[in-house]
Amino acid sequence: MSRKLIFRFLLVGVILVFVSSGTALAAGYPSKPITMIIPLSAGGSHDLNARVFTSIIPEYLGQPVVVKLMPGAGGQTGTAAAVRAKPDGYTLIFTHNYIDQLQPLIEKLPYDTTKALVTVWRLNYAPPIVFVRSDKPWKTLEELLDYGRKNPGKLQFAHSGNWGATFTPGAIMLSKAGVNAQFIPYKGGGPAMAAILAGDADFHLAFPSVVLPHAKAGKVRLLAVAGDKRLKEIPEVRCFKELGFQGGVMERIIMAPRKMPEDRLVILRQAFRKLYDDKTFKNMMGKLAENMESMDGPEYEKLRAEQKKEYTELVERITGEKIKGK
Amino acid sequence: MWESFVEGAHLCLRWDTFGMMSLGLLLGILVGALPGFTTTMAMAILLPISFFVHPLVGIPFLIGVYKGGIYGGSISAILVSIPGTGAAVATTFDGPALTKKGQARKALEIALYASVFGDFSSDVLTLFFIGPIALVALKVGPPELAAIVLLSLVIISTTSTGAAVKGLIMCFIGLLFSMVGQDPLGFMSRFTFGIFAVRAGIPLLPMLIGVFAIPEILGAIEKEVSSFISEKVDLSKVGERLRYEEFRRCFRTILRSTGIGAALGACPGVGQVVAAFVGYASAKKASNHPETFGKGELEGVAAAEAANNAVNGPTLVPLLTLGIPGDNITAILLGAFVAQGLRPGPTLFAEQGPTVFGILVAMLLANILFLILGYLAIPVFARIVTVRKSILLPVISVFAFAGSYVFRSDPFDLQILVFFGILGYVARKLQFDVSPMVMAFILGPILEYSFGQTVNLAGENVLRYIFVERPFAAGIFMLIPLVSFLFLVRSIRRRRKAEAHDSGLKGGET
Repeated sequence: MSRKLIFRFLLVGVILVFVSSGTALAAGYPSKPITMIIPLSAGGSHDLNARVFTSIIPEYLGQPVVVKLMPGAGGQTGTAAAVRAKPDGYTLIFTHNYIDQLQPLIEKLPYDTTKALVTVWRLNYAPPIVFVRSDKPWKTLEELLDYGRKNPGKLQFAHSGNWGATFTPGAIMLSKAGVNAQFIPYKGGGPAMAAILAGDADFHLAFPSVVLPHAKAGKVRLLAVAGDKRLKEIPEVRCFKELGFQGGVMERIIMAPRKMPEDRLVILRQAFRKLYDDKTFKNMMGKLAENMESMDGPEYEKLRAEQKKEYTELVERITGEKIKGK
Repeated sequence: MWESFVEGAHLCLRWDTFGMMSLGLLLGILVGALPGFTTTMAMAILLPISFFVHPLVGIPFLIGVYKGGIYGGSISAILVSIPGTGAAVATTFDGPALTKKGQARKALEIALYASVFGDFSSDVLTLFFIGPIALVALKVGPPELAAIVLLSLVIISTTSTGAAVKGLIMCFIGLLFSMVGQDPLGFMSRFTFGIFAVRAGIPLLPMLIGVFAIPEILGAIEKEVSSFISEKVDLSKVGERLRYEEFRRCFRTILRSTGIGAALGACPGVGQVVAAFVGYASAKKASNHPETFGKGELEGVAAAEAANNAVNGPTLVPLLTLGIPGDNITAILLGAFVAQGLRPGPTLFAEQGPTVFGILVAMLLANILFLILGYLAIPVFARIVTVRKSILLPVISVFAFAGSYVFRSDPFDLQILVFFGILGYVARKLQFDVSPMVMAFILGPILEYSFGQTVNLAGENVLRYIFVERPFAAGIFMLIPLVSFLFLVRSIRRRRKAEAHDSGLKGGET
């Protein structure tokens, strides 16, 4: 009996080795768990979105997807790891447009995201909303910007980190309108939100899930929503496009090394497509108050090229320096 | 309000709540005790579990992980001098020394009782004073945070052991290390020397494990003794339990630390690590025998552990009342709330009163489970020190390296570990205390950030801004010289007393 037991253990061991090495069964990708790098910190909106889709997509991939948080240097630590990873489709990155296309314009980085990474899927996008505390005098965005123009350096803009998801739309708006405001960095959206509620700073941008409850409670006044569309929850608030600004939304994207085999990319995209018909997924995304505006990889690649142009202009306008090699 | 409370209390009295909470606590203790795995990581990984169960099962589960994790860090800190989490750094000042004296079990027990007491009291305070705490939390902006951190630094810096100059040198080295990487305000790289991996700064955990655990391992190898604890210790007494008198002796310290922890917890952005340092420093200041601190003092362990756990309750307040997470852990809890369709914010109590009170009551009950589970787990952990050194040391080394790697999965962190390990070893040989360096490393960035923000907010005149527009911050800034003066007077008086005592003895001899 004991010999039988040993044999069984050996068998299980052999199977485990095969399963974990994966290469032996390469025909059926994926044959081992996929790692999803998030270059941002725990508890952020990326983390939350990832926890939802990684707990449901295994049904369509046949393998678990493991989230690996690699925060640091505004997303550069995780991005570098994703670029360095073996292009076998077992390491992906869940990132956003500013890390992908804007940061390389600001700093010299040891990687080129456009060359190294290809879009698998755009999960959704999040439009930040410009708002002020309700007791502030500005009723519309124009009034806010007018005040800023007349009082250079007075208007205090609380943002959640340089060249991040709230900084960039704010910068787009201020630089286009010719307002010289005081940029005050906060450690993430939470403290910046608190600064507005406490009256420490004048205005901030935050995602709908964060700011809508405060608007409902009458604590803050919403002035504009970034992007090309108004939100159905707040149809009275105008969008950036109507106000003459461009872009400003955060695109949540899943990317893979560009050198990865094409057929594996197709498998991944198919799994994501199926995910969008999944009831649990729809339900959970609804609870998170996130939209389901997905976009296929090839389509997003076109958007990516536009972003690069747009951000180059923005950075040149703000820093006053020409960016070489664009 | 009262009705929602009673209703909430009823809601959470379910078997699955208790079951999942216990599971969460156990997982938290385990993860906290394993170096490199942080409480934040464990909560992020376990978060999806809470999506698919009842809110009063899923959220208490995560709260269990949270509470267990903060305590679990102290286990490895006490036994093998590896702070499993940043919050346990202050526990390494006295914990390992107690272990070497053969009092590991006592240390673990006082850590548990202090943690549970700190946690429980802060939860009760939170439950009853949620409104006032929310007001305070909103009042604490960058200038106030800068003032609080500066005051904390003053309190902490007066307690380092050994020569003051050496402490100061280490403090500056720590500040210098804390500046490596992108500066928080301007996004510029500082002191990175073109090394990409340190652009995000020097990672905390590999550094902590380096300066605390590696010298301990090297020191133990040097001594060539067969057991991790000193041979003079009677091995049959290793399992000795905490006596009631010993707990009584620590009780004042536990109370003080709980107060400090809860107060600092109400200020967003301060956190467990600072609370543990300040709790420890205050206990040492208040003690009649400060010289025993750092050499295996039960009160030292109690002070640090009560303070870091007492932060837990009040940090939840901004989350519950405003929907604003103060740190990563509360951000994950926010995710759990949101995924359950509970949207924390100004309307949460009005709309979901019973559920929220249910969660708060579950938090209180979690402490009782925490006490029981911790009590049962201690004998198992305490046995570790009786393992032969030839086996234990390699295992600790493996954990030190694995723990440093797993934190960010970056191989560069192993070099950081080795670098700080050597630094820690050299410092110990030259009798430099590394704790001021670590404290400065942790507090420096918070101070720099909040000060930078204050300057940005103030515009032209910083002093006018602080003293006219931020009376709260100004008050704390004024406290700083006062506290320094009090400390000075006290230490002079103590020195005089000691001198008088010494000369009295000499007089007796002749």
